[in-house]
Amino acid sequence: MHRPVKAAAFALVILALAAVPALRPPAFYESFLFLVYLWVALATSWAILSGFSGYFSFGHGAFYGAGVYTTATLASRFDVPVAWTWLAAGVAAAILGLVVGAVVFRVRRLRGELFALLTLAVTFVVATVVLNTRIDGGPGVFLAGVDAPRIYGSASGSLYVFALAIAAATLAVAWLVQYSRLGRGLFAISDDEDVAETMGVPTYRFKLAALGVSCFLAGVAGGIHAVFVGYVTVAETFSLTVPLFVVLMSVLGGARHWLGPCLGAAFIVALNYAFVGGDWAVVGRAIIGATLILVILFLPHGLVGTAVSAWRRAHPAKAAPAAGTASMPAPARSEAARQPVMLRCENVHLSFRGVRALAGVTMEVQGGEILGLVGPNGSGKSTLVNVISGYYRPQAGRVLLGDDDLLTKGGHRIASLGVARTYQIPRPFSRLTVAENVALAAMFGAARLDRISAWHESGRWLAFVGLAERHAALPSQLNLHQRKFLELARALAARPRLILLDEVLSGLTPSETAHALELIRSIRAGGATIVFIEHNMRAVLEISDRLVVLNHGEVIAEGEPRAVIREPEVVTAYLGSAHA
Amino acid sequence: MPSATLLGQSLLSGVFIGALYGLLGLGLSLSWGYLRLINLAHFALAFLAAYLTYQLVDVGDWHPVAALAAIVPAFFVLGVAMQVFVHRFAIGEFASLLVTFGVTVIIESLIQWIWTADFRRLQLDHGALSWRLGPLFIPIVEAAMLLVTLALTCGTWAMLRFTYIGKAMRASAEDPDMAAAFGVDHRRLALLLSGLAAAFAGVAGAFIALIYTLFPAQIFTWVGVIFAVVILGGLGNPLGALIAGLVVGVSESLTMALTEPAWAPLVSFSLLIFVLVLRPDRI
Amino acid sequence: MLDARALDVAYGDAPALWGVSLTIAAGELVAVVGPNGAGKTTLVNAIARLMPIRSGSLRLAGEDITSIGAKDLCRRGVAIIPEGRRLFTGMTVEENLELGCYRGKARQSRAQNLERVYGMFPVLRQRRRQTAGTLSGGQQQMVAIGRAIMACPQLLLIDEPSLGLAPAIVDQVFTVIRDIHASGVAILLIEQNVAQALAIANRAYVLEGGRIVSHGAPADLLRQKHVREAYLGEDAETSSL
Repeated sequence: MHRPVKAAAFALVILALAAVPALRPPAFYESFLFLVYLWVALATSWAILSGFSGYFSFGHGAFYGAGVYTTATLASRFDVPVAWTWLAAGVAAAILGLVVGAVVFRVRRLRGELFALLTLAVTFVVATVVLNTRIDGGPGVFLAGVDAPRIYGSASGSLYVFALAIAAATLAVAWLVQYSRLGRGLFAISDDEDVAETMGVPTYRFKLAALGVSCFLAGVAGGIHAVFVGYVTVAETFSLTVPLFVVLMSVLGGARHWLGPCLGAAFIVALNYAFVGGDWAVVGRAIIGATLILVILFLPHGLVGTAVSAWRRAHPAKAAPAAGTASMPAPARSEAARQPVMLRCENVHLSFRGVRALAGVTMEVQGGEILGLVGPNGSGKSTLVNVISGYYRPQAGRVLLGDDDLLTKGGHRIASLGVARTYQIPRPFSRLTVAENVALAAMFGAARLDRISAWHESGRWLAFVGLAERHAALPSQLNLHQRKFLELARALAARPRLILLDEVLSGLTPSETAHALELIRSIRAGGATIVFIEHNMRAVLEISDRLVVLNHGEVIAEGEPRAVIREPEVVTAYLGSAHA
Repeated sequence: MPSATLLGQSLLSGVFIGALYGLLGLGLSLSWGYLRLINLAHFALAFLAAYLTYQLVDVGDWHPVAALAAIVPAFFVLGVAMQVFVHRFAIGEFASLLVTFGVTVIIESLIQWIWTADFRRLQLDHGALSWRLGPLFIPIVEAAMLLVTLALTCGTWAMLRFTYIGKAMRASAEDPDMAAAFGVDHRRLALLLSGLAAAFAGVAGAFIALIYTLFPAQIFTWVGVIFAVVILGGLGNPLGALIAGLVVGVSESLTMALTEPAWAPLVSFSLLIFVLVLRPDRI
Repeated sequence: MLDARALDVAYGDAPALWGVSLTIAAGELVAVVGPNGAGKTTLVNAIARLMPIRSGSLRLAGEDITSIGAKDLCRRGVAIIPEGRRLFTGMTVEENLELGCYRGKARQSRAQNLERVYGMFPVLRQRRRQTAGTLSGGQQQMVAIGRAIMACPQLLLIDEPSLGLAPAIVDQVFTVIRDIHASGVAILLIEQNVAQALAIANRAYVLEGGRIVSHGAPADLLRQKHVREAYLGEDAETSSL
């Protein structure tokens, strides 16, 4: 189905559901559906950050609660019209979320469990503040005489429509995000945040944006719920029910798809309703607990996730990106032969806990050349690549790309300036297909294409490295040789000026190595500059224009390759001297 | 400004609640630090033990110490069984949080099924007993809990510090492959640790039954604060958990005495947030 | 003592060793040299049973150990000084050493072995209560060696002991390795510092691209052009690649 068709179908379903109160169903059905919509909105809004980016928040209750109390306070105490309080509820929750995110996401190497606990702690703090200030003060807040704007004759029917509206809006937003640039970036963050940043995804801003949107929607849902219940208390609002239910619903349905949390929410609310009353409620809760365990153990991707991968397996030949020609595509920027200096490292120092990794590295990369960067194990080659690509921040020195000092820029800015890299051990985004992996690089690197162009671009580069056939595969289905070439395609799709190749040849057979060297030559012919880190000295000698030798974090030699490797100091660095 | 006696008494009650935090945190800290399991079910186990204690003492007319003696080995076995399950399904750190939440919900339902949602309170003759120390009252059960907590915490610390098994546990948590290369059997140590953690939950539960009124939803009361205590104390650090428990407990009671009682949770969670944001490398 | 035949080892689907055969006699010091990425560490890890062996057989003193776990190998008298030392960095120096004698008979000779290690490296005695992670690289290497000695091994696997160390420390480390060998322990020494490794070895193998390309007496290997080629890629066939 095409997008407009899908959107129309979606709108039809929503309209049909909006007509339900006109049929005057028993109150039971109306409130049941109201709760379904509420939880669809809460679970789906949670998934926009947590499901897509993998940062599981246990603080959704805080943002929902901020919405609940904003509406309760404004409507009951200040007589603000209810519709306006809902908007305010969303804004208040979003502000709370952005403040929390702005602090929390600055914590370097924030682990998932820590994020979960931090957001949970935020819930308790917010609850305590609300409980002890005039916002609540202890007894709870009555929303006496507060009514939703009438759409149907009955108040409940009108609230029903608003709950449906927020659920529909949340689903639509989740859908849009999933297929947007933001969504692609979030999925990449979820698989490998460091690689995503290095490929140009502004990870900090994206996480913050997703959190803001997620909190806004949760806040509005909270505001609507406040009117529905009519009496709000801190204990109910900030209980663990909200965070736990949204996690459960999303995990059950599949948190990485806009539709997943929606199915999970419907299922759980229905299950809760099926066991109302007395002892059966207890059984219902036990079943929910058991369901959670079984889903985590046996369907870790949730219902929708499992269905999608099954469907993909059954229909492998889904829309391939245009293969293009297998020859080297036109150069990124037509750079005339050799330029004087493309990259300059000046006196770069980096130590880890007192161990010197780089001890004042000064070197240049000339435009259009292939520079071989070699040295024994632990000499600092990979560390230098990590410095240039922005992963490590050295204690001293400068790294200049043209006139830009890279050390003052984040990893994603460096990528957009035209630096791309490969990893010694391939690090593809494991839950994106081969073509999606490459398209992502084209969307966020120096190329900055839109989604559709990036998709076509991925076809060209996959053809270039010989992976066109495998475009729909997941990286785990590739062998090592193919994964290495996927790394290469990903780096190229970003249209970089400078490519850092970190041991692309290791683990390849001689014929695969020969193929890889051919590709590297044609990349250079296309105009890019290459820094080639490699242990296979034969390959280095064959392909490099110049050689830089590192040892103990220092440059010990540089120049014409064959001359350099005859220098005594280089021979000693490699072979050692027998002075024992 | 409250009187010195009131302050003293609230300091004392802070120490006692802090000891309970430390006791509950001890098992959680062990399994998180050494097994990489975030065991939410630890709280459910503690309350299961509390209800069993209630049953044995109140209905079965056992002596509390006899109940404790029955519960501890039973919970050790339960802990071992849980670890067998975790190992069988290769449950990772994050998944463990969700799976053990599922277990918690099931145990909560079980408790509600058997004991209903009504409040349950042990009627003990010596429950209300307390010593008088100058102007202060020292409740005996709480004092016993403090002593037991001290003993278990120091015992665990000494085991980790001075015995081969304890050193092997620490080594295994750092680098399982290298520990294995020197002959450490990680699986068996994990069974032992998990059993110990569950047994500690059993001890904590018995004291909870003696001190507090029980109801099923209470399982979740202390989840937040104990996580704060465990993280503040450092994962896998028994002394740290106890010290953090006491600090949080005392500062909570002082907050209660000096301001509104309901401000207390702010203390532990603000501490937690500060530690997580400023020193995330601590765990 | 150790007899490896036609070992194939792979990381997932990426082969790292192809048909590697190698023997070590009791009390022998065998060096394996080769450039980075040749598969040397993989070979040690496979023998130490830290990596699965895809095919081939591994025998220790006549007993098949191809598929036993690392923890059972220790009991059979094999200890390892791993690449990058891999100390238990949160534990003290002495605790690290004690971990070395965790298994079996070694525990009984704890005091005696501890004295031996402190005799070898007096600086460790001063720092016995210090956390291992706070030591310098050279001292950490001493602890790693000491930890292996504590296990009373008959076969010691040593992986890149000179990595990242200053030359003076490297000399000291090699002296100690020679002493351990002199006390009758068989040693498999993996080293990229060819000259130094070959100077103390009884026999040596050259590993390149996951295959043994040459083996023999150290003096012969030094003379062969294989070694220089493997490391520096200088050979006539370069253009044929």
